[in-house]
Amino acid sequence: MKRFAFEFVRRGLVACGFGPMVLAVLYLILERAGAMDMLTVSQVVIGIVSLSALAFIAGGMNAVYQIERLPLMAAVLIHGGVLYASYLAAYLVNGWLKLGSVPVLVFTAIFIVGYFAIWAIIYWVIKKRTKRVNTLLKRKQTEKG
Amino acid sequence: MKYRLVIDKNAQEEVIAVVHAPSALTQAIENLVCSFSGPGFIMGHAEDEVRRLEFGEIELVTVFDRKVIAIDAKGNRYRLQERLRDLEEALPSYFIRINKSTLANEHAISRFDAVFSGGVDAVFKCGHRDYVSRRCFAEIRRRYEGK
Repeated sequence: MKRFAFEFVRRGLVACGFGPMVLAVLYLILERAGAMDMLTVSQVVIGIVSLSALAFIAGGMNAVYQIERLPLMAAVLIHGGVLYASYLAAYLVNGWLKLGSVPVLVFTAIFIVGYFAIWAIIYWVIKKRTKRVNTLLKRKQTEKG
Repeated sequence: MKYRLVIDKNAQEEVIAVVHAPSALTQAIENLVCSFSGPGFIMGHAEDEVRRLEFGEIELVTVFDRKVIAIDAKGNRYRLQERLRDLEEALPSYFIRINKSTLANEHAISRFDAVFSGGVDAVFKCGHRDYVSRRCFAEIRRRYEGK
């Protein structure tokens, strides 16, 4: 746990610098799309702070994959759960998502579908790798026998 | 007390001590002899016996409750006195690490199973099942695929 906490902070600090950069790109896209042409000081401050925090968490949570005993799917679920909460909070704080059951449900549905797709892909990849290793194991055992 | 060492390559190895009564010395000799592991075998301790386990008959060596345990083909468990780290060096190369606390005899692995949680389990011929860590699975793949 101590090692995880250390890794979380280390990776989080490395990643959090990218938060404002992503925010700048996001503002640029919104401006080019005509969705935003002016920002207040508080909007900028909230944006920078929230995106830095989001990047810190998103980067830090990669440390969950370092926990050896944790199966990959469990790691993906924990990672996904924390990311979902972080993204939702960042979207709501910045006003990119309206606070209401419908927008949150739509956001949640998109997130779940995305994660389910990732889950299915991972399971398929592991199944394929396991099958390949089993074939090689049998071949090796036959050669020895 | 006399000490006599007979070296005979044809005789079965044994240690005999002739004493008037059991003592701390005989106990120490017994402990030393019973825990001695030579090339190709290791001494395993069960509840009421000490058994010489040939490397080939061990399916896996693992850690339970901080004790190093060897499991044989019949599923019998024997406590070992060596540390897992030392065993990794002493055991033949067909013993592969499948997670941080288990060394598996690859000839005794029945199959690898992908589990729905996203992990991989190693299923042994004796029926025992243990998880394979992602790092070790990657190493096993590299080993088998020769990369």
